[in-house]
Amino acid sequence: MRRIPSWHAVWGLRAAALILLFWLWERAGRQPGAYGIPAASATAAAFWQLLTSGALIAAVGTSARSFVLGFGPAVLVGIPVGLLMAFVPPLGRMARVYLDVAMAVPMAAVVPLVILTLGINVAAVALVVFVFSMPFVASNTYGGVREVSPRLIEMALAFDARRRHILFKILLPGAMPMILAGIRYGLARAFVGLVVAELLLAPFGLGELIADARSTFDFDRMFASVLALLLAAVVVISGVQRLEGRLLHWRQ
Amino acid sequence: MRPVPAGPEGHMEAVPVLGALSALVVASEVLGRLGLSLFLPAFSSVAAVWWQVLVTGPLLPALLKSLESYVKGMVPAVAAGVVAGLLLGRYRWLGEVFDPFLNMMMSAPLAGFIPILMAIFGISDTVVVLTVFLFSFFIILVNTRTGLQGTPRSLVEMARSLGATDVQILTRIYFFAALPAMMVGVRLGAVNGVKGLVVGEMLIALVGMGELLIRYGNTFLINHLYAVILTILGLALTVSLAIQALDRLAIRWK
Amino acid sequence: MVPDRAVMASERDVALDIRIQGVSKSFGSVAALAGVSLTIRPGEFVAIIGPSGCGKTTLLKIVAGLVAPDAGTVAIGGTRVTGPGPDRAVVFQDFALMPWATVLRNVAFGLELRGVGRRQREEVARRIIARVGLAGFEHHYPHQLSGGMQQRVGVARALAVNPKVLLMDEPFASVDEQTRRLLQDDLLDLWAEERKTIVLVTHSMDEAVYLSDRVVVLSPRPARVVGEIQVDLPRPRSSKTTRTSAAFAGLVEDLWGMLKEMQ
Repeated sequence: MRRIPSWHAVWGLRAAALILLFWLWERAGRQPGAYGIPAASATAAAFWQLLTSGALIAAVGTSARSFVLGFGPAVLVGIPVGLLMAFVPPLGRMARVYLDVAMAVPMAAVVPLVILTLGINVAAVALVVFVFSMPFVASNTYGGVREVSPRLIEMALAFDARRRHILFKILLPGAMPMILAGIRYGLARAFVGLVVAELLLAPFGLGELIADARSTFDFDRMFASVLALLLAAVVVISGVQRLEGRLLHWRQ
Repeated sequence: MRPVPAGPEGHMEAVPVLGALSALVVASEVLGRLGLSLFLPAFSSVAAVWWQVLVTGPLLPALLKSLESYVKGMVPAVAAGVVAGLLLGRYRWLGEVFDPFLNMMMSAPLAGFIPILMAIFGISDTVVVLTVFLFSFFIILVNTRTGLQGTPRSLVEMARSLGATDVQILTRIYFFAALPAMMVGVRLGAVNGVKGLVVGEMLIALVGMGELLIRYGNTFLINHLYAVILTILGLALTVSLAIQALDRLAIRWK
Repeated sequence: MVPDRAVMASERDVALDIRIQGVSKSFGSVAALAGVSLTIRPGEFVAIIGPSGCGKTTLLKIVAGLVAPDAGTVAIGGTRVTGPGPDRAVVFQDFALMPWATVLRNVAFGLELRGVGRRQREEVARRIIARVGLAGFEHHYPHQLSGGMQQRVGVARALAVNPKVLLMDEPFASVDEQTRRLLQDDLLDLWAEERKTIVLVTHSMDEAVYLSDRVVVLSPRPARVVGEIQVDLPRPRSSKTTRTSAAFAGLVEDLWGMLKEMQ
């Protein structure tokens, strides 16, 4: 017997779960010496302080710059690569293997290599972000075009469509859902790349804040910085998801 | 909850992968011999170092240590992920309550949690194990749940009409109906787990192959660095292909 | 041949004849068509029927210009078919509507491909949408429509390009029986207004006899024309008068007789 939960019940439970979580967090933080976690209230205070002192904004600025420099090219390169792969099948089959490997492999392993070649700067972080996300964008674009229903292509041909018509009026609109999904995954992966790069390239952007706070054992600040980072990522990705839903409103 | 993120697209076939990698080996050999850059060594020199580091050096112990952490993290992740996925799929209200949280965990860069784990557990391999767990648990959960939700109603009704109890339906119907999606989740989770392993080890810089990466990076030993990277690559691909093989064995009715 | 079916001058503006001669087509080692020959008069409604997989759809695609025959020719209005063209339009079994486009855009698609200006093509599309009974649904998306309505969109799209020949590939096979009957009658109404040449591939003997002037029977693979049945039932046809007539039943049974022999 399955009761469909009412809207109130669900939100009530969620609120309860959150409150419980915060309460535990606060308790854990207050335990002297037992855990290195600051209390929820202390974290909130540190967050506020970071925000108002401008430190957070500055760090976000640096990180954002690296992020855009890495993710922008990932999309601008990834989509054409995926399209090219779809239009030149032998190339597609070959490149697909490399993309699959790139997606399965822990990209974090190349970070030391990147540091050695580029040093510790925006370019290095950007490259890491690029390498983390580009394969996903390309792979999803490739898949999206390949999955466009051949029946629709046939229909267009029956109405005497030229090749450019097929590309712009059938293939691209048809592949759009997967291309957008690819951008979304790429975005999530780009954030991972950003976090990994910044944590490893310690004196940098948000990573600097985190490493800095950690080395001075200022856990309040560290927690606040980390959570700020995570929240930023989640907010951006949810935003993109919503945008995606809006753009693809023709799907049921 | 959105349906399962596809992430790394479907299957990898062993043969094309080996072929592609061989091509890379050849290319690297050619380019490396040209001496274009300090950072592009020839494959043969890397291979030589690899052998040396493996047999007489720290690579083998590091690899074993990494594997140990990996297994310690993966096994609970699979068990917990499957059970949680089944429960959240079976009891919809449970699923709805945790939905936003799950969504968050699936989109957030999980590596961000590592500093928090380090604060709680100090610099130890527990952090690595937990990271592996984190990186794979949610993926397995979500995929299992989606798999269960796709169970055809008629199967459940059939079992109920024959008098099956709730537990029986869960274990005999839902579990098997969810199995294909579950295996996809396990594969994706395992692959992601390797990523968690490497990132975790690199950040705590204490043990395992991640530590080697940091060490060789800091000491500019390029060939050694490549050797470790190749080992990690091998590990990741082995895990992925192994689980695919397991998948094929387990689900012969597909 | 009934006098009022004679070719009138005005009909030539609306319909063309189709001459299929010795058409053969193989896919790899599988021979789909082997020497199919058939002549269809302008404004004639011909149904093509045959066992499953016998190549009826392939034949239709060859006439449409989507597939090139290995041997033989197809000529429409005296001109050889070498590819898709403005004189023909296709209606597909699975509707083939672009899910990301509105009904209006889908119907206007054929005109869009020809470079007709937006205002003009939308005007044409709206007219035809009303004619197929979908007025008010111009800005709906395919997924919001029932199967029957989606197929109306498909028919509207085909009509919008004003073809002389209408090629229909099992157009009503994907909808339920009740909707099918409605669509069949609507098709007959539309055809009564403008007597285009129609070639309809179908599985259904009922449908073939009810709609057409002539039913052509194809053999199993490799397909050839093995027979045809002239359908002299009076027009306009309706379920009430036609389907209940003894002549109708007789023709269906004759058709079944021919098909049964090939099973």
